[in-house]
Amino acid sequence: MEAKHNDSRWPSIVRAVVIGRRPKFTLVRILVLVAAVVGLRQYVLLPIQIIGPSMLPTYQDHGVNLVNRLAYRSHEPQRGDVVAVRTSGESIMYMKRIIGLPGDTVGFHAGHALVNGQLLDEPYVKYPCDWELAPVRIPPDEVFVVGDNRSMPITYHYFGSTQRRRIVGKILLCKNLFASSVPLP
Amino acid sequence: MQKSLRLLGAAALIGLGIWGWFYFFPSPEKVIRSRLTTLARTVSFAPQDGTLARAYSAQKAAGFFTPDAEVVVEARGMEALDFNGRDEIQQRALAGTRVLHGLKVEFLDINVTLGPDQQTATANLTGKWTLGGEREFNVMEFNFLLRKVDGVWLIYRVETVKTLS
Repeated sequence: MEAKHNDSRWPSIVRAVVIGRRPKFTLVRILVLVAAVVGLRQYVLLPIQIIGPSMLPTYQDHGVNLVNRLAYRSHEPQRGDVVAVRTSGESIMYMKRIIGLPGDTVGFHAGHALVNGQLLDEPYVKYPCDWELAPVRIPPDEVFVVGDNRSMPITYHYFGSTQRRRIVGKILLCKNLFASSVPLP
Repeated sequence: MQKSLRLLGAAALIGLGIWGWFYFFPSPEKVIRSRLTTLARTVSFAPQDGTLARAYSAQKAAGFFTPDAEVVVEARGMEALDFNGRDEIQQRALAGTRVLHGLKVEFLDINVTLGPDQQTATANLTGKWTLGGEREFNVMEFNFLLRKVDGVWLIYRVETVKTLS
């Protein structure tokens, strides 16, 4: 009698929308969906929020993007790729652009990147830069990464050589999702 | 029905036993993670915390280190720091609490590797800290080297890890 009373307060249309006509089937669908989302995040695409001005103007501060974990399954990282570099884990990562590959020498002169003594064409660097750095050779199994925004003094920009194993994946989107309208410097 | 209830009860008991075992006899890795998390909480302080509370926190934080502990912090854009001994660590922590408006420290992604003798360990972690009144946070990767002294894990060295060098 009580159940019947509850049924009358729980219109069938609402029940159909919330839990479906076949609750067991709905439960299975929910479980499959959760497993798919967890699996996707763990092995394929990692959502990230970008904090800081290091990659301006290519990637805005507080924007959202995705890391493609499968990008380097079939080939090694390439020069120009924007990658996520992990720290002790993936809670916080550095988002940087690869400009030097294993065995290369990388330096800066008058704000321009020099790779193996040649000027690197970097159309993504929009702000003035005056960095000077003597050429350094990249060890095997490491890459040289740096942000696109080099308008700050060289000592205030975190960049350099990092181990290949620290690269979590390649940034998937050329522009952030939900990019904020933070004014540029 | 009776049988399935008994099975369910037995499974629940086994589950409770396993949980109880890990709760009352945690692994060294878990103990170290817990200690480091407590250290992060201890060195954090809010702007409204009084001088005495801050001094107590600094003293308590020093208790996580061995008497001969060394802290070496080297990072681009900042002066290298090198503290030697528990007393200096305590003094520096105390000085920090006087100068700073507030501090929130978190240790993320703590990876613990036990030494072969099970009496030493290395904890690789990411330190994240926010200064009082600031919106942006700072990040640095560290290695904490620990030693078991009288059954307690104490830090004997802290060094920065150059994620990018």
